[in-house]
Amino acid sequence: MRNPYIPKLAIIKDFIDETPDTRTFKICFKDPKDAQSFEFQPGQFIELTAFGYGEAPFSISGKSNRENTFEVTIRKVGVVTSAIFRLERGSVVGVRGPFGRGWPINKMHGKDILIIGGGIGLAPLRPIIHYIGGNRDKFNNVILMYGARTPKDLLYKYEFEEWSKFIEVHLTVDSGDQTWKGRVGVVTVLFDEIDVIPEKTIALQCGPPIMMYFVTKKLKELGFPDENIYLSLERLMKCGMGFCGKCTISGRYVCKEGPVFAYNEIKEFLERAI
Amino acid sequence: MKAFKSLDKKNFELLIKDLLKTHVIYGPVKKEDGRVHYRKISDFNELFLSYEGHALLPLKKFFLSEKEILFEYEILDNKDVVIRDKLEGLEKVQRILIGARPCDIRGIEILDRVFISEFKDPYYETRRRNTLIIGLTCNKVAEYCFCYFTGSGPDIDTGYDLLLTDLGEKYVVRIGSERGFELVNQYSELFEDASEDDIVARNEIIEKLVADLKEKDLFPLDNIYEKMVRNFNSEIWEMYGHRCLSCGKCNYVCPTCYCFDIHDELDLDARTGRRVRVWDACHFLSFTKVASGEIFRRERSSRLKQRIYHKLVYSVDQIGIISCVGCGRCIEVCTADIDIRELLQKIVREGI
Repeated sequence: MRNPYIPKLAIIKDFIDETPDTRTFKICFKDPKDAQSFEFQPGQFIELTAFGYGEAPFSISGKSNRENTFEVTIRKVGVVTSAIFRLERGSVVGVRGPFGRGWPINKMHGKDILIIGGGIGLAPLRPIIHYIGGNRDKFNNVILMYGARTPKDLLYKYEFEEWSKFIEVHLTVDSGDQTWKGRVGVVTVLFDEIDVIPEKTIALQCGPPIMMYFVTKKLKELGFPDENIYLSLERLMKCGMGFCGKCTISGRYVCKEGPVFAYNEIKEFLERAI
Repeated sequence: MKAFKSLDKKNFELLIKDLLKTHVIYGPVKKEDGRVHYRKISDFNELFLSYEGHALLPLKKFFLSEKEILFEYEILDNKDVVIRDKLEGLEKVQRILIGARPCDIRGIEILDRVFISEFKDPYYETRRRNTLIIGLTCNKVAEYCFCYFTGSGPDIDTGYDLLLTDLGEKYVVRIGSERGFELVNQYSELFEDASEDDIVARNEIIEKLVADLKEKDLFPLDNIYEKMVRNFNSEIWEMYGHRCLSCGKCNYVCPTCYCFDIHDELDLDARTGRRVRVWDACHFLSFTKVASGEIFRRERSSRLKQRIYHKLVYSVDQIGIISCVGCGRCIEVCTADIDIRELLQKIVREGI
């Protein structure tokens, strides 16, 4: 019997500092067989182990077929993430997964796409942006609206220029600095820059609950049908398999049935999700 | 082969004594404090099968232990890591649980639906596969019991290998599974077919228990799902949430509270460590806390609701049945005198 609690060993190949407290790690499985069998859907997550400190869930934020690596973008906020930040290139970590339900790619084909990210919430959306880049003819208009606290907190800045070649990119920060020439304000201020046809558009969002609350409200005002709005929810997913119970909202396991939910599903929840 | 057998108590003793040679056996044992606990026995006489009510803790600890080492690891000098699976040690142990109450057996059936479903928890599944359950129907309704109203007693049809009913000189044995059937076959010289009188006597015992349980004048829980859904925002929850101390005792004693936490323990040499899972409780503030500091169930009432809604609503959505088995343990241990029966009655009678 294969034990799904046992992580597969992997190596931190490289990392880059995204912001003062956030890094993107490139991870490669030790065993080439594990690397080969690792396939994920944009929006899915893994459980990453820092041996000696524990395990925590992270969205998969990218991959490189050439290097046989995948990426996770991690903000240093707790015990496990601090331990991961102390690891050097070449360190051994553990990986379980991928887990959960990702973005509804099949449903998105042929549609306009509106992607809304807040802070580190852009991480699970990045694989979908990459996917769109590689399959541009499968989508119509694609717009990204991304907001962060300050210009320093914007993730993946080094890719914005590339993304702008195939999608519209709109940025904002809660508070700017001397270098910032763009918009200032929460992500919803960007709605006045964009043109969308709600019934033809699928909206994907990930960010703090308060952001998703206001974005959803705005999308509803614009006339988006509930089933065209998708949200990736954050909860404490310990086991990833629908056992430990810590990630449930209204009895729905975010780890197994989510983390991506359509708004019409979320509306049925008794508990508030956002 | 008939579904009912009879087993003389002298033969029962022979059966257990023989099974002790090949199995690890757990059963109700009376401790010095007068309480009954399920404990490992090494001698037949340790068994206390005439106990009333239920053991302090339910059966879940035999399948989902309060602390379980999932695996051990060692960080080598070259920083490589070696993992040792702890599952392998579980494979060989053959166990028997004797004297389990129907409510507790239903509790295990509920856990089966959680842990052996789309994903399979290998620790749970291995233990489940290696364990025979020989149940025992109650002889008396205890103070907090309400199994009749949750459909999990005083008699149940599934979840056990054998189910005993005490007729004084002998047990009537109801066979509940293929494995139970095999066990009876293996020891066929000890069993007899149950007589009509045995069956009648068994039925009388069960009917008496049903009558005593019905005297408690609890409502039928038929529409409780709809009632609960409609009353999610009722002030009744605030009232009980205000009283609740969030101590989590109800979680720990509940036969169907299975939530757990996982963490790592590192030894002082910083080389060897282990991943453990421990029982957790949705009543704890920390239960939904994520690294960013966000706590998704901050109000005490929201945590009290989580447990009760899980039992009566979410469980129905997830696994098709309610997961309250009517054992009354949560009522018995509650320091704040919160009584789930009273709470549900309030929802049914005063709710919208």
